[in-house]
Amino acid sequence: MSKVPVIAAVGVTPIASEHRGSNLRDLMAEAVLDCLADAGMDDLSAVEQGLTSYESDHFNLQMTLGAILHDTIGMIPKPNLRVEGGGATGALALRAAWAHIQSGLCDSILVYGCEKNGRGVSSRTANQLFALSADVDWEMMVGGNYTGFYAAMIRAHMEAYGTREEQFAHVAARNRRNAGFNPIAQKPMDISIDDVMNSRPVAEPYKLFDCSLLSDGAACVLLSTEEWAREHCPAFDKRAPVYFTATGCGSDTMRLGDRYPELTNFRAKRTAAAQAYAMANISDPMREIDVAELYDSYSGVEIQAVEDLGFVERGQGGPSVADGIFDLDGALPVNTSGGLLGRGAPVGATGILQAIEVVQQLWGAVDPRRQVAKARRALTDTHAGIASISVVNIFERRD
Amino acid sequence: MTEKVRSKIDIRVPESAPAGDAWAQFRGVERIAMELTQSYKYSLGKYSRFFMELENGRFLATRCHGCGKVYAPPRPLCPNCLAVTDWVELSGEGVVKTYSVLRFSPGSNDDVRALETPYVLAYVLLDGADTLFPHLLKAAPDQAHSGLRVRVAYSDEPVHHPIHLMYFVPVADSERQQP
Ligand SMILES: [Zn+2]
Repeated sequence: MSKVPVIAAVGVTPIASEHRGSNLRDLMAEAVLDCLADAGMDDLSAVEQGLTSYESDHFNLQMTLGAILHDTIGMIPKPNLRVEGGGATGALALRAAWAHIQSGLCDSILVYGCEKNGRGVSSRTANQLFALSADVDWEMMVGGNYTGFYAAMIRAHMEAYGTREEQFAHVAARNRRNAGFNPIAQKPMDISIDDVMNSRPVAEPYKLFDCSLLSDGAACVLLSTEEWAREHCPAFDKRAPVYFTATGCGSDTMRLGDRYPELTNFRAKRTAAAQAYAMANISDPMREIDVAELYDSYSGVEIQAVEDLGFVERGQGGPSVADGIFDLDGALPVNTSGGLLGRGAPVGATGILQAIEVVQQLWGAVDPRRQVAKARRALTDTHAGIASISVVNIFERRD
Repeated sequence: MTEKVRSKIDIRVPESAPAGDAWAQFRGVERIAMELTQSYKYSLGKYSRFFMELENGRFLATRCHGCGKVYAPPRPLCPNCLAVTDWVELSGEGVVKTYSVLRFSPGSNDDVRALETPYVLAYVLLDGADTLFPHLLKAAPDQAHSGLRVRVAYSDEPVHHPIHLMYFVPVADSERQQP
């Protein structure tokens, strides 16, 4: 029997700037109940293992959250593992779960993640806490922060390839528009490229609408062998089977300056993509992938990502984005969920939310206004920091 | 009436729950203030000499005798060769390779909190180094550009974190050394 994992079921909470009425345990419970309903299962008794995905002990003011959440959702006494890898946490958790299934360690595993990055702390505290995920000694202490690091990278891209602010403003406007067709999205907006261009500068060339959201939310994916899903998950046979067929992971130096002379793009994404494409037998990703969720922590990052993922040639990210080929009606729609810019980004749940979006696209189960017709193969791109860790996961519908 | 809970921020109880709400009995929400303050005796470890020499107005990097790479910021261990590096002194002049203009500060420490926004974060290739050193460029944002010649300046004022014993300033035309 094949060990390639299938997605048995998925669950989410709405993504919001604040879930005041729910703490992290509550949010995780809500997403798990949503997953049970999606699976058509009464409880998790048949699920063998649990994998917890969350980034920050500081935001959450709680360490060993894995044990607490595992207890909250009734997974005691089953095995638990917590995975952390900055912004890539959710995608790394799925990758770890993939290995659990492929290795035969278990036939079923619940990957569940959450974060409250929203209004539980002031934006000043949030900036400090996120800056702790930079190199504290050499970057944070001189006043560096992630908006600044990303801004320095896109500036280098602009100088090397002529990329223009209007081109990444296109991403900011499009992803927020896509969010309007996603009922769980945090901040759908119908804004123009001019609105983005005229928004307040945060770290030039990035302006307010080029920056992604701080969010509260939770998400989970029940991953299993096909055999397990047929036996335990009543919903599985009612929709097209979707397999988690390939995963790649790359890394790069923590500090941008150590990557000199390459300042414009993400080597870790190229490494991760090459592994995933080899595993999935993909040679022409632009043609062979039908829908993708890209890590748009800042609008320009999507332009860099479409180059590093091999969708377009280096330097062609800006013009290709502006031409609309990654829009909902384009050749390869990306960030149909709204992405980090429009749907939101509760860190520990982000990579899981990306996977859920593309899986639901492959099921043909999303709002028709954002549904990509006849999607068979999908990609998620997720990274930590300025892609110090990068993960590419591939999902395929096989019916 | 006196407040019985000192940390209480507010309580919100919705007048009605949506029909069929499974959580109907759990809709009242209390928020409290929580705080976590820590202080550390933080060792700068094998990087310490870099900071000690800044007090003497000297800028150090490290060089790997294996591959010849010069690291600024310093690395005690070359990640290419896993060889222990040697300290070398650089002139402190270099060129901006990229930069950003920050309109908000992470408030990382007292030195950073004292900065006026906007400020410029520059990535500088120091003459003789192979990596870029990130630090403040004390110049007007519109003066910053890739290719700008800069030099390390040393602070006369006491600082909170020793990395602020230095910063970058543009090299004035009159200071330019003849090639
Ligand atoms: Zn070496």
